[in-house]
Amino acid sequence: MTSQTPRPQPPRMAVWLVSLFTPTEEAESIPGDLLEEFSQVASNSGSAAAERWYWHQTVKTVVHLFGAGFRVAPWSTLAAVIGGFLLHRFVSGLPDKLLSAVTDRYLTFWSTHFNAYLWVLKGVLIAHLIGSMFVGSVIAMAAKGREMVATMTLVLVLGAMAIASLFVIIARIGDASFPWFLPLSFADSFAIIAGGAIVRTRRSASTPRLSNS
Amino acid sequence: MSGRDYLGEFEHIVILALLRLEDRAYGVTVRQEIELRTKREVSIGAIYATLDRLEAKGNVKSRLGDPTPERGGRSKRFFHVTAKGLAAVNRTHRALHSMTEGLNLIRSHS
Repeated sequence: MTSQTPRPQPPRMAVWLVSLFTPTEEAESIPGDLLEEFSQVASNSGSAAAERWYWHQTVKTVVHLFGAGFRVAPWSTLAAVIGGFLLHRFVSGLPDKLLSAVTDRYLTFWSTHFNAYLWVLKGVLIAHLIGSMFVGSVIAMAAKGREMVATMTLVLVLGAMAIASLFVIIARIGDASFPWFLPLSFADSFAIIAGGAIVRTRRSASTPRLSNS
Repeated sequence: MSGRDYLGEFEHIVILALLRLEDRAYGVTVRQEIELRTKREVSIGAIYATLDRLEAKGNVKSRLGDPTPERGGRSKRFFHVTAKGLAAVNRTHRALHSMTEGLNLIRSHS
């Protein structure tokens, strides 16, 4: 009777990251090549070294695939990013408009139920995040095959704008106290990326494998 | 064919690796061949980004192999250099040769 030791597997998070950025036409080759070499490194140097090797390759590969994805279709990616930016501007303003409308209408109620008002404020923050996730999903649907390239580019643009705003505030007001909008901006970016990742993951799962066709 | 159709440095290295590997050229072997010969660490993403660019220019062609268990049932993508790719390699070599001809690039460290 022979006992089979389980074959070492690469880190699941790293595998998922690579799959997010891999173009559809490389869905077989890139993950397959990484798995094949991971097994070689694991048998030569052990599982820990193989995991380190896999993460190292993942980071470098994702950077290259991000750049290559933009170079392959710069204009359509840019169009998706600009559309996403405008949609984000529109969607992110909606919860605040709704809050203003509700507070103006029931001013006496809120003045006597301040705790309830605080809960509504938390709801507005959650609505912001859901809105950002929606924007990320829409961009990802528009940029088919380059979902993460488009969503990550929008996040980089928004991040650059947030940092530029911070410098403007410091320069104009001279107030270098804690920038209250940065955590919200970070959460916003995370929600956009999550929206894009959900669409990409669902799309990858529904794409038939080339080798089985 | 454009007379300016030269290969970039890494494109040049990748095509030379394909020529060396002949019918065994796919992502893993190309990456390992380049690391072995140039002592330069490269990622699989860099290899595919370059190969895709070369394929779009018509310098290489690819075909899918059979799925194998050590790859989780995924296929290998084999690459080979086309006649246009070979011409681009020769043109780049000639350009490099004519630019380096007569230069003393070897420095003595003694």
